Amino acid sequence: MVPPAPRPAAGALSVFARRLGLALVTLWAAVTLSFFGLRLAAGDPLAGLLSQGLASPQQAAELRERLGLADPLLTQYARYLTGLLQGDLGRSLYTQRPVGEVIAEQAGSTVELAIAGLGMTILIGAILGLVAGSRRSTALGSGASAAAGLATALPVALTGVLILWAAMAVGRAAPAFLPLTRSDSLLLPALALGIASAGALARILEGGLQENLEAPFVLAARARGVRRGLPLIWHALRPALPLAISFLSLEAALLLGGTVVTETVFARPGLGRLLVNSILDGDFPVVQGLVLVAAAVYTLTHVAADMAAAFADPRLRDEA
Amino acid sequence: MISGLRGWLALSFAALMAGCSRTPNDVTTLTYGLTLAPTGIDPHINASAELGIPLDSVYDTLVVQDPESGKILPGLAERWEISPDGRTYTFFLRRDVRFHDGTMFAADDVVANLDYVVNPDHHSQKAVFLLGPFERAEVVDLYTVAIHLTQPFAPLLDSFSQVYLGMASPEALDAWGPAEYQFHQVGTGPYRFVEYVAEDRLILEKNSDYAWPPPTARRAQPFFDRIVFRFFEDPATRAIALENGDVDVLGEVPRHEAERLDASDGFTLTPVAIPGQPTQFLFNTTLPPTDDLRVRQALLAATDRGAIVNTVFGPMSPVAEGPLSSGLWSDPEAPVFAPFDPGEAAQLLETAGWTLGPNGRRSRDGTALKISIVTPGWGSHPEVAQLLESAWEALGAEVAVELAPGFGLLREAQTRGEYNLIGINFFGTDPDLLRPMYASDGLYNWTGYLDPSLDSMLAQAAALPLGSEERRALYLEVGRLLRSEALVLPIRDYTNLVVASDRVTGLAFAHSGWFPLLRDLQLAP
Amino acid sequence: MRTRVSLFLALAWLGLVVSGALLAPILAGTAPSQVVAEPLLRPSGWPPLGTDELGRDEWSRLLYGGRATIVASLAATALTVAIGTAAALLAQGIGGPVDATVAGGSGAALAIPSLLLALLVVAALGPGFDTLVIAVGLGLSPGFARLARSALRRERGQPYVAAASALGSGRMEIAIRHLLPNALPSLLSLATTHYAWAIGGLTTLTFLGLAGEISTPEWGSMLNAARGYLRVAPWLAWFPGASIAGTILAVHRLGDWAARLRPRG
Repeated sequence: MVPPAPRPAAGALSVFARRLGLALVTLWAAVTLSFFGLRLAAGDPLAGLLSQGLASPQQAAELRERLGLADPLLTQYARYLTGLLQGDLGRSLYTQRPVGEVIAEQAGSTVELAIAGLGMTILIGAILGLVAGSRRSTALGSGASAAAGLATALPVALTGVLILWAAMAVGRAAPAFLPLTRSDSLLLPALALGIASAGALARILEGGLQENLEAPFVLAARARGVRRGLPLIWHALRPALPLAISFLSLEAALLLGGTVVTETVFARPGLGRLLVNSILDGDFPVVQGLVLVAAAVYTLTHVAADMAAAFADPRLRDEA
Repeated sequence: MISGLRGWLALSFAALMAGCSRTPNDVTTLTYGLTLAPTGIDPHINASAELGIPLDSVYDTLVVQDPESGKILPGLAERWEISPDGRTYTFFLRRDVRFHDGTMFAADDVVANLDYVVNPDHHSQKAVFLLGPFERAEVVDLYTVAIHLTQPFAPLLDSFSQVYLGMASPEALDAWGPAEYQFHQVGTGPYRFVEYVAEDRLILEKNSDYAWPPPTARRAQPFFDRIVFRFFEDPATRAIALENGDVDVLGEVPRHEAERLDASDGFTLTPVAIPGQPTQFLFNTTLPPTDDLRVRQALLAATDRGAIVNTVFGPMSPVAEGPLSSGLWSDPEAPVFAPFDPGEAAQLLETAGWTLGPNGRRSRDGTALKISIVTPGWGSHPEVAQLLESAWEALGAEVAVELAPGFGLLREAQTRGEYNLIGINFFGTDPDLLRPMYASDGLYNWTGYLDPSLDSMLAQAAALPLGSEERRALYLEVGRLLRSEALVLPIRDYTNLVVASDRVTGLAFAHSGWFPLLRDLQLAP
Repeated sequence: MRTRVSLFLALAWLGLVVSGALLAPILAGTAPSQVVAEPLLRPSGWPPLGTDELGRDEWSRLLYGGRATIVASLAATALTVAIGTAAALLAQGIGGPVDATVAGGSGAALAIPSLLLALLVVAALGPGFDTLVIAVGLGLSPGFARLARSALRRERGQPYVAAASALGSGRMEIAIRHLLPNALPSLLSLATTHYAWAIGGLTTLTFLGLAGEISTPEWGSMLNAARGYLRVAPWLAWFPGASIAGTILAVHRLGDWAARLRPRG
């Protein structure tokens, strides 16, 4: 996927500064894209409010004045950016509540789901990847490899429904397992969310293992007397870790997208549902705020992962 | 390193399992399901029936309705007088009532509440209409308040029994203002408002000071320390939520699942009739081809309403026979509403000039017969709309069904005006409910039908005394007119399929149907 | 998965799906919107796959639903390929700041997951089937543009580019006349993979209930509707679910195969 960038000799701190600068530029571009995209394509943000009878034309005019929607688009854009720098994401058109507050209310449940989903990704991805990579050319290995391919290809909506159905069948056959299917348990939604990325992670690990199990440093380790089995696999796996970590950082942001679907299938509240509902209501400030959050999570985790990757691989660390 | 990896896995498993903790024998907390996420829950401002499910127990009303008979009984007002001209209502209030914030309830609070409702800046979507020809409210003395109307308005007592005109603490209204008050509601009811997070939860706690139950109450003190309302907007996951024990009581359970749960151990299904307008679709009389009465009549005749109700709603929902539910009002002399008769339907279309082409499609002067249906996403309207599509395509029409998932999008689609039929219905216990929908200046006149004589009948009926024979006769006449003009396609009298865990006892609903009497509800261990 | 058998199976499945979609009016027998029998009939005898929750022919709905899904996804992919290729050509044909803008812009757009980007488009244009095609098409564009740009760049290193440049060809001319035709196999395999993603994206959006119009059956919408009947009629979820899964896997297999056709060196 994304190969770790070569480290300049100037030391970790300046690398970090450069990465952070790049992330901020990316963030700014994403904000700009969503701001102009929504405003230019959708027209009057208050049209929905007006046609729904939630405001009279006169009140809409007042609201427009108050929210500054009457100003030229560039002025509004400048004000939005200034607001962002002060941590102000604007106000919901419908409830007039601060967007930051609305998002914060729903964030907990989504973060919980995303972290659990990431845990599932690592768990399932590691198992599939290790089995496929170390038991190559056995039925078990190619089975794991095929499962990884399947997991990557299928949309979350599909695996989600499948899991829900399976849970119902299990619950009916063995009611003792029913607590696991409770919707306030994270298990099933996290499983549905995690599986999609697990396949890709498995492939990375599988590839890394295949390459490295025959590599000189692993052979050397064997000669040094490192036991076969897990210790040796761990040795062989380490070079694949930077790639796996930078992949997982990409996935962290994609998981936010996946939560939209997972929250629908398992009827959980959260940012995904907030997004879909805000889209259906035409509440632009909320939509924009959510896009910003997603982009920020993506870029920041990316920076963090780059730094982490630099320390995970001894070869890279020595260079830095 | 390996133990680190193992430790990590163990940790992540522990984190996943942590969600599954709830003590099963807790009887002090009830979890109650809501099925729609309203855009706002300020009862003075918003119109949703969903908001009343929790808030009916947060507020007290001046009068209450007997759940069975609908008779008006004392609430916060011990008694009341209506002036002979029907234009002044005087309420004599209880003197022992306290708001949840500790302030005493008195006549000026009623005035402050009504001023808040009629303030045009607050855009009340329902409460202000319940007040009808309201002129002003006046403090007569500390515990006496007079309501002045510009003309007689019989449904006023019914209105004052509804949560939309419940009494809120004016201090809280002032302190928070119309945007924030919904998150900080303060009433006088058996449960106090604790917290509301949109689309996630609403929490009530027992009001231990509650000592002014209305005569309809079966328990003096509320049973639960805490009631947690959670949202189950997706019909597909409601039965699962009940079976998982995520919720103790949940309404609007889809028909097949409701029947299955009722037959299984541990659950009881309570079908609750909701008075008001039935599940229905309104015809747009301003857009071709439904601007033609014969086309509307043909579509009615081509609809097998019994079969639709049987497929979508099952035997617990009665087929609707008019623009109001039968519990509210029925016309014994009226002929059967639009009997299913495809032959008659085809005949009507032929006379209207829509002839059948060789491809099985009807057209007139080269224009195809196209019917566009806009359906709301709730209340099984989409399923009904798709069955209408099937029936009318068999008749030779081209039918398109557009889904509007929320009320906002429904209004938007209505404003665009490109619909032949649109699904919308309101609930209530007085036939005056017809006025906003069928009067020429009605806020929800989505049929586009304008008729001064209908307007005057509706206005006249609203002014006649409740329960009078004249009033009844006038509404029957209105009903016949709506029928003969084929303005509405009624489907079924609204029935809420409420499923509750068998641990729940005392489940009963207010006369209006939607609102549970939470005060009387109990949970067995 | 890498055997000829799997490629054969993939092609056979796609053949079935495409002919099912093309011949739907003949194969179906009944219109997908028509009530033909009792609701929730088990698949046995007639109708072949039973009936849905309203008593409509599930087989007919599956055929017509496939038609909607694969055609709309194809349209979305065409949009993605057109935008992405154009951006890549501009980047490589003009170079300098344009190249940097395309690289940076697609990078920034990638900071928004493509599902969110698609949802953003739905937010701007309102729900509806046409909107979804545009949303999926635009949502996948930044990724395609980035990959297409690299594909063209890889060709730039080839000796024939230097030769053309020495003969006096301009950057844009080289990009269109040399880079593009040589990168075509890569682009084709990329497009195939994006088609699989488009099917996933489209069915996800319709699954979320954003299709607007519900008179046309579509696999994602069918899967969504079937969720409510998982216990009483799970097959209503199996059929559209298996169709989506099979088609996505088959298209991916085709994409893998196309990727290996690419001439090396």
